[in-house]
Amino acid sequence: MNEHNEQLSALIDNELDNTQIMDALVQSVEQQDTFSRYHLIGDIMREEAPNILLDIDFSAFVLAQIEKDNQTLEVPVDFIKMKKNNILSFTKRFGQYAIAASVAGVVVLTSVMMSQPNGSNTHDGLEVLSTIPLGGAASPVSLRTDTQESPVLTKEQKKRTEALLKDHQLQIQIQP
Amino acid sequence: MNKFSRRFFTLLVLFFFIAPVFAVNTLALGNSLDAVSKEKTAIVYLQKMQKAYTEKNYEILYVTSLQSEVEPMQLLHGVIDGEGLTYIRYLNGAIRESLQSSSQISYFEQGNQPYTLATNVDRSVFAKITHFNYKAGLNSYSYVVVGKGRIAGKRALVIHLISKDPYSYSYMIWLDLKSSLPLRLDTITNRNLLIEREEVVSLFVTEDVNPWLMKISQKRLPQLVHINKTKSKSLWKLNWLPPGFKIIKSDQHKLDSNDNKSVSYLMLSNGIVRVSVYISAIKSATGKEKIIQHGSTLIYTLKQGRREVTIIGEIPIQNAQRIVQSISREKPWHKKPV
Repeated sequence: MNEHNEQLSALIDNELDNTQIMDALVQSVEQQDTFSRYHLIGDIMREEAPNILLDIDFSAFVLAQIEKDNQTLEVPVDFIKMKKNNILSFTKRFGQYAIAASVAGVVVLTSVMMSQPNGSNTHDGLEVLSTIPLGGAASPVSLRTDTQESPVLTKEQKKRTEALLKDHQLQIQIQP
Repeated sequence: MNKFSRRFFTLLVLFFFIAPVFAVNTLALGNSLDAVSKEKTAIVYLQKMQKAYTEKNYEILYVTSLQSEVEPMQLLHGVIDGEGLTYIRYLNGAIRESLQSSSQISYFEQGNQPYTLATNVDRSVFAKITHFNYKAGLNSYSYVVVGKGRIAGKRALVIHLISKDPYSYSYMIWLDLKSSLPLRLDTITNRNLLIEREEVVSLFVTEDVNPWLMKISQKRLPQLVHINKTKSKSLWKLNWLPPGFKIIKSDQHKLDSNDNKSVSYLMLSNGIVRVSVYISAIKSATGKEKIIQHGSTLIYTLKQGRREVTIIGEIPIQNAQRIVQSISREKPWHKKPV
């Protein structure tokens, strides 16, 4: 095969005179494929490749993968509905990452907020509240719910929980 | 003669009947005395631990583990001119450090402006068990010397702090027999489930203060952050308090400087843990409870009536649920609730 490829390479570079070998190469589907690939490589190297050829689309593949993942995420929600009033440790569940990440977002968000200084008003409330990272960080990863509601906190709830958690961390430090 | 011997016999019989009763009595008394003296021994050890934790110069490397997370940390403690100084840092990930003296704590974090808070609340790893009044705590906890173990290469004494009610967690404390310093702290539920562990892996006790700690003690600290004092008290009150707990703070404040509404706030403490209770008015209540548990830290939210209550602290769920049920308005309604 390698020998054939070498001949093919020579053909592309106009160095092959033997028509018999040329016919053989042209008739083989596999070789035709290789021929087009070699040509493409050559074109790219000479910067002559048409853009259309290079438009290799990964997005479709990624989207398909995401959709597949989303489907598996629905599973634990049903599971929770079944097991009411039970503390579920999501670390052992399917799709735990998405839930853990969204709940732990309480802390992630905190640091995001902290890294955006609000001007120079260090006396203001916002910055004061950023006491989580050192004071026994709370990044909840297990969650219990006894309702039909999905356990994933909504953006608003997350913001609220985060604010409360920050305030708690601050309150337990400052003088009563 | 005959009469006398008969009387003697009755006496003898009587004695045999009564003697065991006395014996049982003294035995029971001995047992309870023994338990009390054992508890006293535990208290002596625990107080020695508290003293060592605040008065010695030492360096510890420890890990905190809850659920599946493990966080390695370093702590330096030194007493400089009679004042304790604690330096803590995370060993993995982003640089996060704190420096705490008796009156303030400074936080340093990679990518953020460092700041200082005025506080006298110890934030170090074993703070929970090293500032507790163990004698007074006998009302809500019992102390049992369980035995001996080995932690961080040191011989350790194990003491079990057993909560007498289901509203607090129990603890298992390992302390170094030589230096009395705490080596490990397990937080245990009343079903004997381990939910959080802080464990020393290396301990160095030194005669002198760590030279590096000495050096940073002379550095200027970041700017002190002022927190506005609030005057008004919480609009709500608790009609039930978990055993051993007291309300140590009651106010109304804003969670965020951008917020236009204040929340009513209450803080409870039993000397080991501090619990926050937030009460705010909401438009619609669903009666749904939301429970987030991370190690021993609980975030419990219940929307009920026209209020939303959130409780945050290192307490079992039963405690939070009962607190929420006991909440009522401080004063009768003056006007229609908003």
